[in-house]
Amino acid sequence: MMTSSFRQDHTTTSYPQPPPSATVDHFDVLPDSLLLVIFNNLKDIKSLGKCCVVSKRFHTLIPQVQNIMVCVDCVVSDNNTTKPYKPFSVLNILRHMLGSVSNFLRPMHADVDHKQQKHHSPTHVLKNFKDVRELTIELPKGELDIEDDVLLNWRADFGSTLRKCMMLAASSVTKSLKEDEVNGNDGSIPDTFYTNGGLKMRVVWTISTLIAASARHYLLKEIIDEHKTLKKLVLSDVDRQGVLRMNKEEMDELRVKPLSVSLATNRTSIPALSMKLWYAPYLELSDGSVLKGATLVAIRPSEKLVSKDVNDGSWVDFEEFEEPYRTAARMLVKRKTYGLEMNSF
Amino acid sequence: MSSSSSSKMIELRSSDGETFHVEETVVLQSETIKQMIDDDCANAAIPLPNVTSMTLAKVIEYIKKHAEKPKDDDDKKVAEEDLKKFDAEFVKVDQESMLFDLVRAANYLNIKSLLDLTCQAVADSIKDLSVEEVRKKFNIQNDFTPEEEAKVRKENAWAFD
Repeated sequence: MMTSSFRQDHTTTSYPQPPPSATVDHFDVLPDSLLLVIFNNLKDIKSLGKCCVVSKRFHTLIPQVQNIMVCVDCVVSDNNTTKPYKPFSVLNILRHMLGSVSNFLRPMHADVDHKQQKHHSPTHVLKNFKDVRELTIELPKGELDIEDDVLLNWRADFGSTLRKCMMLAASSVTKSLKEDEVNGNDGSIPDTFYTNGGLKMRVVWTISTLIAASARHYLLKEIIDEHKTLKKLVLSDVDRQGVLRMNKEEMDELRVKPLSVSLATNRTSIPALSMKLWYAPYLELSDGSVLKGATLVAIRPSEKLVSKDVNDGSWVDFEEFEEPYRTAARMLVKRKTYGLEMNSF
Repeated sequence: MSSSSSSKMIELRSSDGETFHVEETVVLQSETIKQMIDDDCANAAIPLPNVTSMTLAKVIEYIKKHAEKPKDDDDKKVAEEDLKKFDAEFVKVDQESMLFDLVRAANYLNIKSLLDLTCQAVADSIKDLSVEEVRKKFNIQNDFTPEEEAKVRKENAWAFD
């Protein structure tokens, strides 16, 4: 009776006991369902591609893998495989929009010699994976090439266009706080913020974030159209500077609603936005580090706003940030909220 | 450690006939055994015909460690770190076959965290190996003909650049 209750729950109970010899194929003792669990844990598409060649069994099972991670070695344009495009376009657009902006954005230099390497787009390498549910694409680095001291993290959600976005930034992260700097840190923005370029810098960071996010979103359209099984899609970078997420419903919206492309750029156009900004000249975190000029910006499309969104904290998904920045965001929203509007671009 | 001395003991019998006594609170991490206890089928020794004594001893070591409850919040952080270290050491086994036995046992006993841990360990050991290294490490017979293999390699050429 006991053994029968085992068998009802587990269809794979009657394995042959492996012989003690060391020459046995270890995978032979596992049913296909467990091989798939292992391959789903492997995730890395390059390793999966290699495993296809190992044996017929692997070759049959791997296209059924549902959880995949694509690490992009270098970023190149789809149309012209020798020209790294995104970082330059960010720079150019910013120059155009803001005139003489400080040079915190430097073009990202490609680490790889593009002529030497063959390029395989994520679309191409994913072709054989017909049942992918969770896909993570990781860029080699964040596209905003900011100065070393500057902290800039963004998290964005897209449907057919931007749904929501958050940016946490600081002009520097230091280890300690000087006594005299604590004074005047009372929750509101000091007047100098408007005159010493502080505000302007935050606007530049915010626009850069939105351009980077919408350029990433534009890259995903083809993958989303080809993989209808997707439930979760994340486009991140190694440093986790930016994380773009889309869930099933958001991808469905993109499939039915034509994507609106910003004029002459390879990015999705951004609707008119409402923003909330929180600022602290100094923010001391529990690990002892101090964020100077700490800024949190929460962004929503203006037309999507409803009156119940008045609660400022509800604009921020704290969980999206890793510690200690999650705590930093929580501390910032307790301060005075400043509202901003931005036109579609 | 976590449970009182009056906790009920459950007897488990491995495929090679060895018996193990484990506290009920610990053994409940196995959904399979939990189901049997709920169904009142655990009054005698529970036979585990698919798990050898060597593997079962390892599984019990794992569930005992994972049954430890931290006393307070401060302790919790330390305990989490400790558990991470334990898990990392736990999957460092001398023989590759032990890891696969643990995958099988975790699946059979339905201990999700152990299944995740061991499957991740197998996956990690595959990562970054060449095709030939994977075959050698796990004693996998290449059952492609040379023509078939060439074709599959071509299909997946992007993985070899």
